[in-house]
Amino acid sequence: MAADYLQRYEENDDGLRFQDLVYTGNFVGMEPVPDGILGDRIMKSRATSGVLERVGIDAVREDEFSIAELNDLNNYLAWNIWDVLVMRATEGASGMIPRQEYELLALMHEFYRWPELLDMTTTEIGTQGVIDLGASSRSEIGTKINAVHDWAIGAVGFGMGRCALLALEAIKPDDYIAESSTILKFMQRVLWGKRQDGWILNSQDRYRCQIHTPKFLDSLLPAIEPLEPGSPAHDALIHFNAAAELLSFLDHFDCRLGLGDTGPYELPNGNVLIIRDLFCNEDAYHWSDVCDHENVPHCYTVILEIDPQGMGLQEIRVNDISTTFTRPKNYIPHVVGGAIFVREKWDTPIADVYPVPIAELAPRLTGIQNATFKLYTKLSRMCRRQLITNGMYVYYVGMILPHLRRAGTYEKACVDYDFWEIDQRISNYYYEIGKRDFAKVTVPNKIFSGAGYLPFSENADRRRSKYFWG
Amino acid sequence: MSGGKLIGEGYNCFETEKQAQGTVLYLPDPSAVISLIQSGKLKDHVLLAQGGTTTFLAPALSMGAIGVITLSGAPESHLGILSREFQIPCIMTAYLVSSEARYVTGGENDAHFDEVIEGLNGKNVRLNCTDGETGLIELID
Repeated sequence: MAADYLQRYEENDDGLRFQDLVYTGNFVGMEPVPDGILGDRIMKSRATSGVLERVGIDAVREDEFSIAELNDLNNYLAWNIWDVLVMRATEGASGMIPRQEYELLALMHEFYRWPELLDMTTTEIGTQGVIDLGASSRSEIGTKINAVHDWAIGAVGFGMGRCALLALEAIKPDDYIAESSTILKFMQRVLWGKRQDGWILNSQDRYRCQIHTPKFLDSLLPAIEPLEPGSPAHDALIHFNAAAELLSFLDHFDCRLGLGDTGPYELPNGNVLIIRDLFCNEDAYHWSDVCDHENVPHCYTVILEIDPQGMGLQEIRVNDISTTFTRPKNYIPHVVGGAIFVREKWDTPIADVYPVPIAELAPRLTGIQNATFKLYTKLSRMCRRQLITNGMYVYYVGMILPHLRRAGTYEKACVDYDFWEIDQRISNYYYEIGKRDFAKVTVPNKIFSGAGYLPFSENADRRRSKYFWG
Repeated sequence: MSGGKLIGEGYNCFETEKQAQGTVLYLPDPSAVISLIQSGKLKDHVLLAQGGTTTFLAPALSMGAIGVITLSGAPESHLGILSREFQIPCIMTAYLVSSEARYVTGGENDAHFDEVIEGLNGKNVRLNCTDGETGLIELID
């Protein structure tokens, strides 16, 4: 099969469909929307403001969104969430971690608590400072200021958080408009600063996340070792990549925050690069002590050089939760080069990030495997309540932790804003979400059908908060 | 290699010529996973798990599982992604071809799960994962 993936980047190309399902959301009575490049185009065409087009820095610096812009972002994020997650709705029970429960509590908590934390951070470092947070990732690897964390600010904290609270009837559609704008502005500024091409989401750019500067990319290329598929060195890199990815998921309670892909970057020889950060040891979490004991660093960055001709590549998506999917699905046999870099701590200077030759990976793989087994054993002994609480922290704290750390506001958030406390309303919801299948059926249906992302009223006051509980 | 009798199907996580073959072992809880690892017989079995998440099977994947079947989930699930990265043949949301019952998202699936577990557990099977969309579970005599 000939590789025609480059056609996906032509203006009128609709891309491939990765699934048979279609999306309706708030567009009842209109043609359902598919996934992928075509879906993005349709969603943009239904916007009533310019917020989904390429935007300039003046728009990004505006203090707040109009109601029309908020509704366009709400609708687009709802489709985008469906686009990347709907097939995962079939995932079912974990058997290990009550993920639906912790996710639901955390995303509602985020909607309540993040606005003042993000507002405080913006006050401390300024609007340009927030944009510069995003820009910092253009010349770094091993940074959690990445697609999935940045996306999560708006998609999870605003989009899904508001959706769930509406479903719980804890809020009404026109509550917390000002706070919604605060969350989305922070997301927009970070993503805009990271991409600097006017788009904010990978799906808006045909699923490309080509954020690194050419100069920075060039500095990584000499570490790439050529690999013969099926050779011991190829197997070593592939197994290391998989084992580190597994530990990164486990350390983040089976959520996607441990993984961060960027790319695809096209090389002069026609091959494509995926640059993958695998965050195997997040020291903010107490259970990561087992990773310390095995000398597992904060991040392993795996660089994969893929031969698109050899695999007959038809489409490659680096989606907004930082994950790469291809058609055909299996790119692993077509990895023809690779490299591993290490960032020991989250704040290790980029100049101190170092490569590890593939021939020297074996003891590091053993450390990863040992940490995985120890962490699994530790988690298997935690009670359900502990698992849910810890999972909440991974979402609620972890999604904005990189931004607050880099901004220098993390300590202030902890000391002055009780960052690690759990809001009493959320604590009470813990007892509600298990009733009438609210966590397992009601909210997933609202999120994945798109029916729960109710719009703001056209004439609502965009400074409106919530002052009445009833 | 000649094909065995087709007894089940599901989403194929990735295309591969590798054909995992072994006795299906249903793993109901984390202690069963730990026991299997400690038994040293991990590679004798095609693992059957309920969910499509990664954490439940984490040490088994890391230590060299040969094949995985799940009762729910899709290739976009974490387990689907990891099976691709490890190159472990994996068929998700499996069902028996002899039955009309199928997994329903958000529905009551216990009876369906019980039926699939009973139909697969202990059977010597081969996973045929060459097709881009559908994985085949074949019974080996």
